[in-house]
Amino acid sequence: MFAAETLTGPSIPWFTLSPLLALLIGACVLMLGGSLLPQWPRGLYGIVTALSAATSIVLCFFLWDNLSDGRPETIIGDALAFDHFAVLGTISICVAVLLASLTTSDYLVREGEDGPELFVLYLSAAIGGIVMVAAQDLIVLFLGLETLSLALYVLAASNRRREESQEAGLKYFILGGFSSAFFLYGIALIYGATKHTNLGRIMETLSSQQAFPRNDVLLLAGVGLLLVGLAFKVAAVPFQVWTPDVYQGAPTPVTSFMASAGKTAAFAALLRVSVTALESRVDDWRPVVWVLAVLSLVVGSVLAVTQTNVKRMLAYSSISHAGFILLGVEAASHTGSASAADGIASAMTYLLLYTVLVIGTFTIVGLVAGRGDSASNLTDFRGLGRRRPALALALTVFLLAQAGMPLTSGFVAKFGVIRAAVETSSYAIAIIAMLASVIGAFLYLRIMVSAWMEDAEGQDAAPPVPFLSGLAVTAAVAFTLVVGIVPGWLLDATRQVITLAGR
Amino acid sequence: MGQYLPIIVLLVLAILFGALSFLASTLLAPKRPHAAKEAPYECGIVPGREPPQRFPVSFYIVAMLFIMFDIEIIFVYPYAVDREFLGSFAFFEMLAFSAVFFVAFVYVVARGALDWGPVQRAGRIDSSLEGVVSANRTTTSTIRRVGAEGRIEEDQKSAVA
Repeated sequence: MFAAETLTGPSIPWFTLSPLLALLIGACVLMLGGSLLPQWPRGLYGIVTALSAATSIVLCFFLWDNLSDGRPETIIGDALAFDHFAVLGTISICVAVLLASLTTSDYLVREGEDGPELFVLYLSAAIGGIVMVAAQDLIVLFLGLETLSLALYVLAASNRRREESQEAGLKYFILGGFSSAFFLYGIALIYGATKHTNLGRIMETLSSQQAFPRNDVLLLAGVGLLLVGLAFKVAAVPFQVWTPDVYQGAPTPVTSFMASAGKTAAFAALLRVSVTALESRVDDWRPVVWVLAVLSLVVGSVLAVTQTNVKRMLAYSSISHAGFILLGVEAASHTGSASAADGIASAMTYLLLYTVLVIGTFTIVGLVAGRGDSASNLTDFRGLGRRRPALALALTVFLLAQAGMPLTSGFVAKFGVIRAAVETSSYAIAIIAMLASVIGAFLYLRIMVSAWMEDAEGQDAAPPVPFLSGLAVTAAVAFTLVVGIVPGWLLDATRQVITLAGR
Repeated sequence: MGQYLPIIVLLVLAILFGALSFLASTLLAPKRPHAAKEAPYECGIVPGREPPQRFPVSFYIVAMLFIMFDIEIIFVYPYAVDREFLGSFAFFEMLAFSAVFFVAFVYVVARGALDWGPVQRAGRIDSSLEGVVSANRTTTSTIRRVGAEGRIEEDQKSAVA
């Protein structure tokens, strides 16, 4: 009954996990301090969150340095991967927490309900996201996915006074529950086909079964279901139906966090699973990704044009951005080509740049929309250029960047994925992406025209810009322009993410 | 297939039992309907209207506590069963888990999860219940008002028959 020897647990490299631990400690401090002490001074919850995210980013830079000397490896009994890819994903998610917590702080003051809960949820969502980015095992990946999703459901419904927020939370919860079930069933089928959940072992098992004809039914069904689960999280067409409603209904800072951290985590997981575990089956999943990418590009860009609510427009634009990132995933699937690795690097760069862009854009939308997120229609942006020139200018920079104008980070991002697609000879999808980009530009132009060229009738009130939001917007604008004008350093750095652990 | 036979037999028996119970109560039970029996709720004080206020349902906080301890037991129980094998590694893991768990517990308690006294706004709700609970209301006076519309009256019933 009793085993003679005792279990020797895997060794735990604490320093490697330090970005996660920094966020966890931040969350615990907020929860304990927030509930035991009386109300903290205004904005302090947000600042503590931002500090723990900043600590995490700094630790990531140290880890990045360590990695550049050593090799990528798997840690904690092959449960997590430690490579540049994971560290870059962690940095993206922490940047999302940092910027979103600054704007959320002002949002809570505006709504008159300051408290630590939202920030704790941000931090735990980020922990889930980082686990997803680094997960080297399908079960660990699912754990991260659920940690991220559960926090996001609550965040979406966090404004108890607005019915739209409740509706968004419920819709997201129900559809997200479905997608999680698909995802888990996919894991079960892949386990059934390969007898492993570890990505490295799955890769070995699959590449040892190269004989033709082979019976892959179980595996392919599993891969399909896995893709459904992840495509739902990244809001790729045809799994995008929740996006407009949820993005519109959720509080604006939460929307920005969902669009940035959620997408980053899910895309990183998608890349790692498909490139590592399913490396020997690229020909099977490439067409699926191709179709998802084309549909997302076209549907996202075209439907955005007809919207009248800016948050909805940006939701559709985020769908089209998902299509662009899928372009990178598609390029990564051409393992025969020398440029396949560029697909991974360009997709991860895109995610980092998009994180900053989308949070900046939504922050400004939130400031204009004001109390209760009530004024987010296109007409509410009229005359913003006269009322708040600086804010309108920042909005213009973000929108131009999202449209992919040169000299902004958006151009670097889009150029990266399209070049990766062209170099792997996926010309058709590259052309579709460029066309979608042109259609999408119309949407951004509409918002800009509304802000600069149309006059407001009876809207003379300039939206107030609190300090922390202003700081976040300024930092995001600076990053967008600096990367747009001098992209070399970032591209050199992200070129290293192509070596995945255990591959 | 033989292994599944007991399950199938049980299934058939369960369906038979349910069907026979319904049949028996239809055949055997005496039927003497009157107004109070046909009311939506046969016993208790007859409500005149829906309580119009929102009132706090703090079950969710109790549910939060329940789920927390539920999750804790899921981790602790296997550890307790096989402590010898799991050794010091698992011991420190459990310690770390308990520490994080304790933070959540402190949070829930600080937010009032254990304040189970009388509901704070009970006074307001009670005072507004006048007219809802009243000795003047009988089954005949209220049931007509709530749910008798469209129902076939006793005399009409006999006329149809």
